[in-house]
Amino acid sequence: MRRFPWVSLAAVLAGFALGLIYAWVIAPVRYIDTTPNTLRADFKDQFRIAIAASYASTRDLGRAKARLALLGDGDSNQALTAQAQRMLAAGEPFDIVQQVAQLAADLQRGVAQAPPSTTTIATVSARIATQTATAPGSSLEAPTATIDLTASETVSTAGIFDTPTPRPTRTPIPTAGAPYALTKQDTVCNPNLTDGLMQITVVDRNSRQMPGVEIVITWSGGEEHFFTGLKPEIANGYADYIMQAGITYTVRIAGSGTPAPNLTAPACTDSSGQTYTGGLHLIFQQP
Amino acid sequence: MPRWLPPLIAIILGIALGLIYGWVINPVQFVDTTPDSLRADYRSDYVLMIAEAYHANQDAGIAARRLAVFGSDAPATIAAQALQTGQASGYAASDISLLQELTRAMQAYQPIPAPGNSP
Repeated sequence: MRRFPWVSLAAVLAGFALGLIYAWVIAPVRYIDTTPNTLRADFKDQFRIAIAASYASTRDLGRAKARLALLGDGDSNQALTAQAQRMLAAGEPFDIVQQVAQLAADLQRGVAQAPPSTTTIATVSARIATQTATAPGSSLEAPTATIDLTASETVSTAGIFDTPTPRPTRTPIPTAGAPYALTKQDTVCNPNLTDGLMQITVVDRNSRQMPGVEIVITWSGGEEHFFTGLKPEIANGYADYIMQAGITYTVRIAGSGTPAPNLTAPACTDSSGQTYTGGLHLIFQQP
Repeated sequence: MPRWLPPLIAIILGIALGLIYGWVINPVQFVDTTPDSLRADYRSDYVLMIAEAYHANQDAGIAARRLAVFGSDAPATIAAQALQTGQASGYAASDISLLQELTRAMQAYQPIPAPGNSP
């Protein structure tokens, strides 16, 4: 009867251990010549910030797209939007967040937005009013200027190509204490808008647009959080959400907001008699 | 057969098994790497992004902080290395110019010491 080869087994294990010692201690793996898609998540965030900052300077959307592709995100637009929301929640400087959000918005549109010059909110208000124009035959009122805006406030000031970027005007900071409340609710029947679009505008007691305000929307079995200010091309205090028909939502401003309950996507009728899902425009304001 | 031969063969077999395991069965996955491990052309493109942003905002402090993701090298060194890579890789003249501008700015940049760090 042959003996079990203990010596040989021990030698195999010793060899295995020697291999590991060589691989882990004597000549450990050094990561060199890696690609951006292998970066740790926080460094990927830094990479996107750099891409957005560069894009804010050059407005070269093709180059920004190529750089974003290096990160291997499935959906660059979604990754940028999510990052912008995280940055806002973390209280990072709004002008940097705005660059990330602007790149996401331009990616979605597919065209580089010309760097906006100083734009008064009044222009934005007009745009919102245009978006919320009622369809012919609708009994709904076309909203009047829903936001009493001061001409001194500006939407954004992005980079000018060959000159230093003008500093953005001071961004209003949400004040603690006074709870936001729903002050205006309009039904929006505009077939050119996304079905079920809930547009939310948050303003302070002086009717100034408030970016970076967290909004909580809840419905039976679900809840979502999002922030104002991620679509600065519309307004600093603007945010939107796509409602599903037949679901009742409650919206409130996180922290100190009074809930606005029983919100549903309205049924609208277009000029040819076809029914479609309309939207809502809500304005929250500090008293 | 000499007595020492079987253990030697076993050791070699063990090493071979270790290498097969490490290189074929469960090879190293590159995840969670840091920017300083990026290939030189990716590094220089990253620095170029910072240079493009710097060209617009002229904020050397922000540029230096962004370059700090590459590790402990001085910002001027990182920018200069990127400039060399850019020149060797045939970057466009406008991009080279931006990298030169950033390199000059980083060479002149003096970080403001944090309160309490000054002697």
